[in-house]
Amino acid sequence: MSYELVAGFETHIELATKTKIFCGCTTQFGGEPNTHCCPVCIGLPGTLPKLNREVVNFAIRAGLAVHGEIAEVAKMDRKNYCYPDLSKAYQISQLYAPLIIGGYVELSNGRKIRLHHIHIEEDAGKLIHQHGDTYVDYNRGGVPLIEIVSEPDIRSIDEAKEYVEKLQQVMRYIGISDCKMQEGSMRCDVNISVRPQGSEKLGTRTEIKNMNSITNIAKAMEYEFERQTDLIESGGQVVQETLRYDDATGTTSSMRSKEDAHDYRYFRDPDLVTINISRDEVEKIKATLPELPADKCKRYIEELQIPEKDAQLLTKYRKISEYFDEACEGVKSPKTVSNFIIGQMFSRTETEADKEEFAVATTPAQLNELVKLIDDGKIRNNLAKSTLEKMLDSGKGTLDFISESDMGGLDENALNDLCKQAVESNPKAVEDYKSGKEKAIKALVGNVMKNSRGKADATAAEAKIKEIIN
Amino acid sequence: MVTREDVENIALLSKLFVPEEELDSLTQSMQEIIDFADTINNAPTSGEAFDNINNLSNVFREDEVVKSYSSEEILSNAPEQAENHFLVRNRE
Repeated sequence: MSYELVAGFETHIELATKTKIFCGCTTQFGGEPNTHCCPVCIGLPGTLPKLNREVVNFAIRAGLAVHGEIAEVAKMDRKNYCYPDLSKAYQISQLYAPLIIGGYVELSNGRKIRLHHIHIEEDAGKLIHQHGDTYVDYNRGGVPLIEIVSEPDIRSIDEAKEYVEKLQQVMRYIGISDCKMQEGSMRCDVNISVRPQGSEKLGTRTEIKNMNSITNIAKAMEYEFERQTDLIESGGQVVQETLRYDDATGTTSSMRSKEDAHDYRYFRDPDLVTINISRDEVEKIKATLPELPADKCKRYIEELQIPEKDAQLLTKYRKISEYFDEACEGVKSPKTVSNFIIGQMFSRTETEADKEEFAVATTPAQLNELVKLIDDGKIRNNLAKSTLEKMLDSGKGTLDFISESDMGGLDENALNDLCKQAVESNPKAVEDYKSGKEKAIKALVGNVMKNSRGKADATAAEAKIKEIIN
Repeated sequence: MVTREDVENIALLSKLFVPEEELDSLTQSMQEIIDFADTINNAPTSGEAFDNINNLSNVFREDEVVKSYSSEEILSNAPEQAENHFLVRNRE
């Protein structure tokens, strides 16, 4: 029998606010242990948490970007658990009245992964387990998080990867988080179950905690899918439990024993008052959102005639898409701009981090100027390409590399002479062409291009050569 | 009714060790606490919610950094500390 994978995600994203959620301590990553702390974020008795306005604004931005409904009334709750990463023995979170309800993330196959809700909460401290004891650093304690809870709508590992990438992309676009999985500013818990293909009933799920890379998410899900399938095939039953994924062995293992089963006893936090969100405020925040990646991608394909694959590459990172938008200003062929970015610039920004920054030596205005020279018929595409290479390597502008004479193009007579010359000096290619080898003409055109130093129009040269030979 | 199992469960969740011989008296104490708290249920009300009795809403801070405490101050009440960290001993 074949089995279907069913998965849902709980994604924690650290918000890029300057200060923590309930106090004025900095949210900066790193720092000496326990130096970004105050009585509020280490949970001393008698302290009063006060909600950071920006956390609410950022969460609303997130909600709008994934088509969620912004609640009119939201409240904070206490989630009780006893563990050293949380000195108060409760985490301030939201259960009964979260800020954002519903929403979805649309995948490239057209499927919509529905979201259950998005809530805000405080992050816990960092634990270092050493010599059997635990060392606690509360710098991260109280850093604001949003938790995005999806419905169990994911049906394959590819969908899971794309879901996480899409969330990461959109949250970076709207500027609420850097979503660096390796630094822990984005972390996923994956709920996974299997069921016989065609069945409607959900199987028993397990939860893999704290996944910190897309590669590991994929590997852990693959392992867990196999494990659960094998278990059911051999007559066993999946036990609902929380698992950890071990990168070194590529396996999952149980994190807690049964007796440790969580009972969070949530209740309303009496220290924090109700949050009312007016529709006016929501509209104001909506007006500050940038064009979202999905909309941009659609516009590039439909209005600028960029191939879908290229449009996806251009919109993957916000800075690249903004570079493209600026460089396209008033050009006749956005496709040329796109080709130069993907061809010449991507080879110089190889890592994800480089693409994220997209600090290339040529400005969008310089690329714009270069492409307009092609538009105006002043230079040919291949001269532009080689010029761009020089611009990128040296950081200098177009006019440093293209002289006035380069921009003259080639007149009819000069083209004629060069074509004649190409035919006379390459009898073998001419012979090949005459005997039916269509491709042999390319060698002759190449000869003309070379001798004209890229100034000739290849299409015109090919026509002229054919005319001479026949 | 508070049962012995309730007390055991709460102790487990709170990571507290309760000796067998104290279970009965703790169960009774907890029952008394719950009974006392339950008297509030007898207060005459018109059924409205009491979770926001001040009728306050939208009390916010601006996102402005305030100087944090030094790690010495932060750790000054720690029962145990090491290398600028709170130290939690494993009792198992």
